[in-house]
Amino acid sequence: MALPLPPGLTPTEVAFLCEMEMVTVIPRQKLESLNLLGGPTQPLRPPHRTPLPLWLALLLKRQRRANILPPPWLLPSSLERILKQETDVKPQTFSPPPPHPYLIRSSPSHTDTISPPFLPSSTANAPSDYLPYHWLELGEILLEACSDDLQEPGRVRTLLRDLREVRMAKMRGSTKDLEGGGVSSLMGVGAMEVSEGRGFIVGVMDGLRKLGSSREAARREKEDDEGIGGAGEDDEEEDEEMGFE
Amino acid sequence: MADISDILADVSRDPFAEYDEIYASADRGRLHSGQADLQALTRAWINERGVAELLPWPKDGLIERATALVKAQIETVETMTGDMDPKTNFSLIIIQTEVERWKFLLRSLLRARLAKIDRHALHYLSTPELQARMSTSETAYATRHQQLLHGHYLSSFLGAFPPQLQNLNDTAGGISMVGGPDMEGAVFARGLGKGDENVVVFGRGREVDGNVEVQRGEVVVARWADVKELVEKGDMELV
Repeated sequence: MALPLPPGLTPTEVAFLCEMEMVTVIPRQKLESLNLLGGPTQPLRPPHRTPLPLWLALLLKRQRRANILPPPWLLPSSLERILKQETDVKPQTFSPPPPHPYLIRSSPSHTDTISPPFLPSSTANAPSDYLPYHWLELGEILLEACSDDLQEPGRVRTLLRDLREVRMAKMRGSTKDLEGGGVSSLMGVGAMEVSEGRGFIVGVMDGLRKLGSSREAARREKEDDEGIGGAGEDDEEEDEEMGFE
Repeated sequence: MADISDILADVSRDPFAEYDEIYASADRGRLHSGQADLQALTRAWINERGVAELLPWPKDGLIERATALVKAQIETVETMTGDMDPKTNFSLIIIQTEVERWKFLLRSLLRARLAKIDRHALHYLSTPELQARMSTSETAYATRHQQLLHGHYLSSFLGAFPPQLQNLNDTAGGISMVGGPDMEGAVFARGLGKGDENVVVFGRGREVDGNVEVQRGEVVVARWADVKELVEKGDMELV
């Protein structure tokens, strides 16, 4: 009955999550609005483009009732640009995530805290220059289910593989920053990369923390005695480490 | 705990009447919608799966409402099955697929919580603050679990010990016998932002402690104890 899994989502659970992303479909058949638990779906009227969650789009695609319009970032030209960004422009950090699609005002709104997979980062109107959080899963799922809807699927597949390799190397490299504990940024990381890297990173963090715990406790004691706040200085140091742009 | 897979057929009722009732009764000053519930449920599930400590039972009756919604939807499906027009048949498949997705989320969330309670039952029962993290049925489950375990220990070996050594919650020597989850374990968390400001995390390291700003959408690795409060307040979420 109890779940026998360690903390952290498994790759299949990440893929399940990715299926909640919105994609744009071009229906081939009419379908009335359905009263789903997650809210009513938009009625399908061919050939009008309609946003639908990926799981539903895949169901329609499999029965040849609709075509999926790939997100602009999944075009070979966009992936090439992003790959260049990853290898040449910023070889140390992940390419930045897409900006928050909703307007942020000073008065709080419920759209402020929406996060992937509920941000429309893979619809036909999504920006083309950023990899969204679920880029790898979404790319693989679309290649598998509807390679006929993609432009140059072979090229997309190769580019996704290249991106994955470059970014996995960065993920492994990020463990260097973890050594001192604290908060380390993985700005722009993807869901599958977190899922894959979690075991190793958590192991490193927890292991080093235990090894350094007496040193940390001694330092804290000393600081308490001397009454040093020192927060301002620490701030700068940590910011540099995090590679804020 | 209501078993969501064990739903009785009650075809005579209007299924949508119940759906409306559920939302009409949920007047907590905030408008509930299916989409908002799905987002909250998904976040609760990811958070619960992301850390070793048991998180507080989701607020605003989220789980109860989601369970009721699933139940009402299954009843709709049962009414619709009667009419075997091929067109509605496909709609039925879509509705059922969605119900299964919700059921998976609910089940996985509750099972992850049970696993944590199983592991440290005595810990979560030890203080009223920790007990408040559990729902009524979870508290009953933890209590019963602990009773069974204690009874088993007593009959198999504890009964042979001198009475002063029979406690399972001794704190002699400054060390508590009751084990809890690792509060300093590393977690992956995402900043959700506060209006137009960034979230500030006070991170503790080996050489330095200090405030770090986390932008909206930025994923960081941190110790659970450092982000716990922010996650429970909703300024950050686990990934």
